[in-house]
Amino acid sequence: MAGPSRGGTPGARDASWGTAALFLGPAVALTLVFTVYPVLRTFYNSVHFVGPQNRTSFIGLRNFADVLTADPVFWKAVGNTAIFSVVGTVADVAGGLVLALCLFANAPLARACRVIWFTPVLMSYVVVCIIWGWIYDYDWGVVNLLLGWLGLDWLQHSWLGEPGTALWAVMVAHLWKWLGFNMIVFLAALHALPGDVLAAAELDNCGWLARTVYVILPMLRPTVVNLLILSFIGKMMIFDLVWVMTGGGPLWSTETVSTYVYKRAFDWNTFDLGYPSAIAVLWFALILAFVAAATALLRRRERLEF
Amino acid sequence: MRPARLWLHHVRRTPLLLFVIAYTVATGGPFLWVASMSLRTTAEIFKNPYAPPATPHWGKFADAWVRSSYGTYFWNSLTVVVSAAALLTVVGAMAAHFLARYRFRGSHAARFLILSGMILPPQLLILSLFQIMLELGLYNSLLGLVLVYVATQLAMTVYLLEGFFAQIPQDLFDAARLDGYGELGIFFRITLPVGLPALFTTAVLNVIILWNEFLYAVVLLTDDAKRTLPLGIMRFMGGHQLDVGMVATGLMIAMLPVVLVYALFSDLMIRGMTAGAVR
Repeated sequence: MAGPSRGGTPGARDASWGTAALFLGPAVALTLVFTVYPVLRTFYNSVHFVGPQNRTSFIGLRNFADVLTADPVFWKAVGNTAIFSVVGTVADVAGGLVLALCLFANAPLARACRVIWFTPVLMSYVVVCIIWGWIYDYDWGVVNLLLGWLGLDWLQHSWLGEPGTALWAVMVAHLWKWLGFNMIVFLAALHALPGDVLAAAELDNCGWLARTVYVILPMLRPTVVNLLILSFIGKMMIFDLVWVMTGGGPLWSTETVSTYVYKRAFDWNTFDLGYPSAIAVLWFALILAFVAAATALLRRRERLEF
Repeated sequence: MRPARLWLHHVRRTPLLLFVIAYTVATGGPFLWVASMSLRTTAEIFKNPYAPPATPHWGKFADAWVRSSYGTYFWNSLTVVVSAAALLTVVGAMAAHFLARYRFRGSHAARFLILSGMILPPQLLILSLFQIMLELGLYNSLLGLVLVYVATQLAMTVYLLEGFFAQIPQDLFDAARLDGYGELGIFFRITLPVGLPALFTTAVLNVIILWNEFLYAVVLLTDDAKRTLPLGIMRFMGGHQLDVGMVATGLMIAMLPVVLVYALFSDLMIRGMTAGAVR
């Protein structure tokens, strides 16, 4: 797909203010009221105590100081989110690539597989979470059932109930939901590869493994980089899946920054919107820094696309 | 290929085939399982969770619809999602048309403003949106949720539509001007009809994404009569955790529209969902 043009397409007309107001007005107004204003208000809240009935008092940077120095749960959440984002992203992109290569290698019924494999992407997190909650069920979930059937009873766990396994169990469910997305992106990139290069590799009697590693992968580099960044940013903001599956528990073992922000704002009776706002601002700054660093590091001329 | 070679070829491909089958079962299986459970009673499920429905209890759907108020949740979801998608299509198409077709001093700023929504974490918005919607009297209101949904999906909608609209040949617009069409006439009689496939794609995408939306809804709606389907299922799950059969029926009610739309437009939806990442 062609990216959007900058100053209108060639032959674009100069617009009057009236035309601009007519066409852009509604979109800009909605963005200002429901996006820009809330963001500014969150920044404002982050340096205030915001109690019930909007009783606010300015407290400077105290929220930020408290978050960074006196909140072990926050750091636990940061740790979990970091593990989730790094391991999850690598697994997500590698898995998507493997799936795409399977279909690219002329697996039978590739079209049907593509459609079925993509289905989880379209399902709501609530649906995915409840289904996976059952799959992980200690007594009748399919995971423990299969383990028992294979004679591996000692591997059976209460997957979402034990601090040691919960984060990994959530990660697998997330992977299951999103692998299809990366697969499609890789598949599109694979089909866009120059056919003569692939044919030449085949003529040279290059095995499929060598062909994949030395010919296909280097050509896919831009797609890999793009997906790594996209997937990482998405996981830094993970909320729904964790919230519905474990609520951050047991014992903070799946607490992520987003679920912690939500808890501090709406779930705990702390009655202060300022503190979670400070966390949200900090986290946003970190995400922006990451995007900037990734862009600079990879020296991409084009703007990152989401 | 000689028969021997052909046989070898098949043996070599067996691992690939097994993997493909295994992954297909892993992705499709859970949905079939839920579909089967949605037609069975909880007692039957606890006896054997993986048996197919012996005698399908279709009545469970009517039961969920009426007695567990899934009907209310469904209509709330439908109202919110359809209104938001319709508004998004109109507002987004107008903005995208302008950005793609006109030179204007404020265009860069407007594009930056509208597209910046794509990298804002929802947490940055949701905390103060809660306050703002209370102040505007839009808290606990479906209208409020519609407006928030339009704002959150606007960036993606404008981004996709501008890409499509920029590809419409300029000749069409020049000809329309010669025929004396005004600015609005050009939008309604050239961009909208020619861009119909793109409008349709983004509308379907928005419907699916918003149908599944959870975070904004859970913060901005508390009244049970206003709940959308994901919230309704969560609430039912909270009160009837052990009634697995009924929860499965509820899941089916939420999943069926998505599956139906997907069955009709699978290619379009796969392309649309990944349009931002594929170049």
